[in-house]
Amino acid sequence: MAEMWISMGPQHPMTHGLWTLKIKVDGETVVDTVPDLGYIHRGVEKICESRDFTQITTYCDRLCYASANTWSHSYIYAAEDLLGVEVPERAEYIRLIAVELQRIASHLMWMGAYGPDTGNLSVMVWCLREREMMMDLLQELGGSRMHYNFPRIGGVKRDLPHGFAQRARSKLELFLQRIQEYEALFDESTVFLVRTQGVGYAKAEEMVNHGVSGPNLRAAGVNYDVRWAHPYSVYSELDWEPPVERSSIKGADCYDRYRVRVEEMRISALLTLQALDKMPGGSDTYHEPGDPKLLAKAPSRAPEGTSGYHHFEDSRGESMFYIAGGGEARGKNPYRVSIRSPMFITIPYASKCMIGYKVADIPAIMGSFDPCIGETDR
Amino acid sequence: MQKEAAEKTASAISRIKGSEAEVVERSSGTSPRWTISVKCNPENWRGLAEKLHSTHQVDYCSMITGIHWPEGPSEKKWEVVYHFLRTGVKNPPEIDGVQQPIITDPTSVKGKMVPLEIEVSIAIPDTRTPSVPSIQDLWVGADWNEKETWDLVGIDFEGHEGMRRVLQPHETPTGYHPLQKHHNLRYHGFEEMYDDAQGFSRKPDDVGKVK
Repeated sequence: MAEMWISMGPQHPMTHGLWTLKIKVDGETVVDTVPDLGYIHRGVEKICESRDFTQITTYCDRLCYASANTWSHSYIYAAEDLLGVEVPERAEYIRLIAVELQRIASHLMWMGAYGPDTGNLSVMVWCLREREMMMDLLQELGGSRMHYNFPRIGGVKRDLPHGFAQRARSKLELFLQRIQEYEALFDESTVFLVRTQGVGYAKAEEMVNHGVSGPNLRAAGVNYDVRWAHPYSVYSELDWEPPVERSSIKGADCYDRYRVRVEEMRISALLTLQALDKMPGGSDTYHEPGDPKLLAKAPSRAPEGTSGYHHFEDSRGESMFYIAGGGEARGKNPYRVSIRSPMFITIPYASKCMIGYKVADIPAIMGSFDPCIGETDR
Repeated sequence: MQKEAAEKTASAISRIKGSEAEVVERSSGTSPRWTISVKCNPENWRGLAEKLHSTHQVDYCSMITGIHWPEGPSEKKWEVVYHFLRTGVKNPPEIDGVQQPIITDPTSVKGKMVPLEIEVSIAIPDTRTPSVPSIQDLWVGADWNEKETWDLVGIDFEGHEGMRRVLQPHETPTGYHPLQKHHNLRYHGFEEMYDDAQGFSRKPDDVGKVK
């Protein structure tokens, strides 16, 4: 049969955002793919050059609408490296709680979208129900529901509110029980298993060479995690291990990538509970905003010729900021801010993974990599 | 542990032609971390990259950043900064047809398995056509990073196959790279805004400005 090109997107349920996947098909089989990105490129890197270090946090929140906190924290660590700020330990614990709760919310959003991708519509409603609990907790911390603007250079905006620890514990314990409901919903659905098992194989070494990291890599049977291999924040003081999936010998398929995210939500919840217990000063005490236990003093200008960067474990892989300091001429602005988006690198790889499978497998494969176009296009 | 491995690798990299490496202590919230910072010439970059990939087992290209320094010294008008990680990831072994996950503890690994962060910066002298050799064939992860750097900053990568616009529209004029410093975000200050006869806020025309 003659081969032909089909454009999936920019308006297609598979895309999870605005982008086009051009596929070359031979009958029902995918022969070649070309991803085409940039539909919502907003020029964040250029905008950052004319904003000062504090203002940039707000733009970083808006990089990803499903995982805002991880992106602003990723920027903050790079800025602190550039400005040479040492963060109070209590603030680090609060940040860890904010990031891990966000990771759960982001994975729930992914799971809610992946259900309909694979013909399991009720999952979406169930996942949004639990996501609401995480959003309520994050709203207590940051004050808003989507773009929290929570971290500050040198610490956090405010302390845990009164009663937060108790509410977080009861909600997370309930959540840990409800994870079993999702597992039952997915693992006992024949349709889901048929559509995800044996589809979209990806091998560990190949993924590393292609720059794919995070849950997608851990699904292939290696426990590489930036939080684990290059410990930042207070992750090395907590008792945990990154989740690993026992995949098949051909590599990780879509089902393994689903499993590893379920395990990751469980571990994020346990990390949050541990952090609430181990927090210096206790999780029930409250400090006014700006207290030295929450916020260290930070310089507002970076000397010329300095640079800072930090690798960070985002919900979708390794995110990273590189900031070049501007010197006197640039005032309080950085000279150049560069953003490493995990999905920008993963989408070309995911598109290669589809070659050889059927057109009907594309939503299952693409969805399992958890694309977020907000951060991809920046 | 990580510091020793970083120092050992840095001294080995320094012996490669045209590159100087040092160990830099960087902060990471409350704890320090040791990274390797390498300076290299554009001519020797390809040789260094091959050594990093084969001898030092640097397996993960994280990010490529292009910087335009129009006010800088003439030997550094452009800069390309590469960030690599050594992850030590291997395909999990197979026993009786069942894959065995690799569970490593990063504090106990030795030799070339120790996770490292490596930064390579390459200064390019004053030129209208900045370019460095491509490393697309060594790390496939560098492929789209190189495309993006050319698209936004205008630094070309010799030997890169399939260079095209990735974030900007395909019909963007040739030679337009918005992160070069002569492109401004806004050409007029807010004080230049005026109200027209209908009371709408207007700004002066951008006619004649380089867009």
